[in-house]
Amino acid sequence: MNPPKPVVVPMRKGTIPIKRDQHIEYKDLEILVKCITPQGQLVSRKRTGFTAQRQRELKKAVKRARHLALLPFVV
Amino acid sequence: MTHLFEGMFLIDNDRVRAGWAAAKGTVLALLEKHGATVHTARRWDERALAYPVKGKRRATFLLAYYDVPNESLANLERDIQLSEAVMRHLQLSVAEVPAAERELALAEQGPEFVVPEPPADDQGLYRPLQNLPEGEEDDTFEDQDDDMDMDRPRGRRRDDDYLADLDDRPSGPKSRVESR
Repeated sequence: MNPPKPVVVPMRKGTIPIKRDQHIEYKDLEILVKCITPQGQLVSRKRTGFTAQRQRELKKAVKRARHLALLPFVV
Repeated sequence: MTHLFEGMFLIDNDRVRAGWAAAKGTVLALLEKHGATVHTARRWDERALAYPVKGKRRATFLLAYYDVPNESLANLERDIQLSEAVMRHLQLSVAEVPAAERELALAEQGPEFVVPEPPADDQGLYRPLQNLPEGEEDDTFEDQDDDMDMDRPRGRRRDDDYLADLDDRPSGPKSRVESR
């Protein structure tokens, strides 16, 4: 008899509070710090729970914040 | 034809200590030299930087909204890069000046506005969130791995484990494998 197959329960998506019509800017550091790991890397869409468009906004905002030394490239 | 821009300028704190009005005036004069019409300009923040920029660990940020003629944009960009007052800058094309920005810029022009003296260059540890009210300290980049803890789970730390460590998130298993 074959062993039972494991059932993988999907992970809970991230709950970063952001309004539907709000755009993410490089000055919104309170949002950006929740979207980077302690090593300073950008968190994946799987973790943030953002839409693809919102995640692209986030990517751009983090890169701009890094350029202005508001966020580190590497911790 | 002109375009509206948002400019964020990192200004050397040594110049800010000599006088905020003069430091701000240097940047605004640079913009106006190239035919820019400045709508608003204000001190955004004074912060410890995430990494040293031109040998400085702290800087004052100036946020400005201005119209620039297209033909002088390249010259303006070059002049900003050559300027000794501006350590680094970011210039973005925007659709409009935010309404809140005008109020904040007006508040800076009031007589009761006083620019705080920037601290010494090596003072203040970098944190992403700075100048928070007392009691709200940012611990984003605290080292959460206790390497001397012999009871900690061995093996590679998963990249989503940090979510469980954050205080403001409900902790618990992010995924589980169940048998039928």
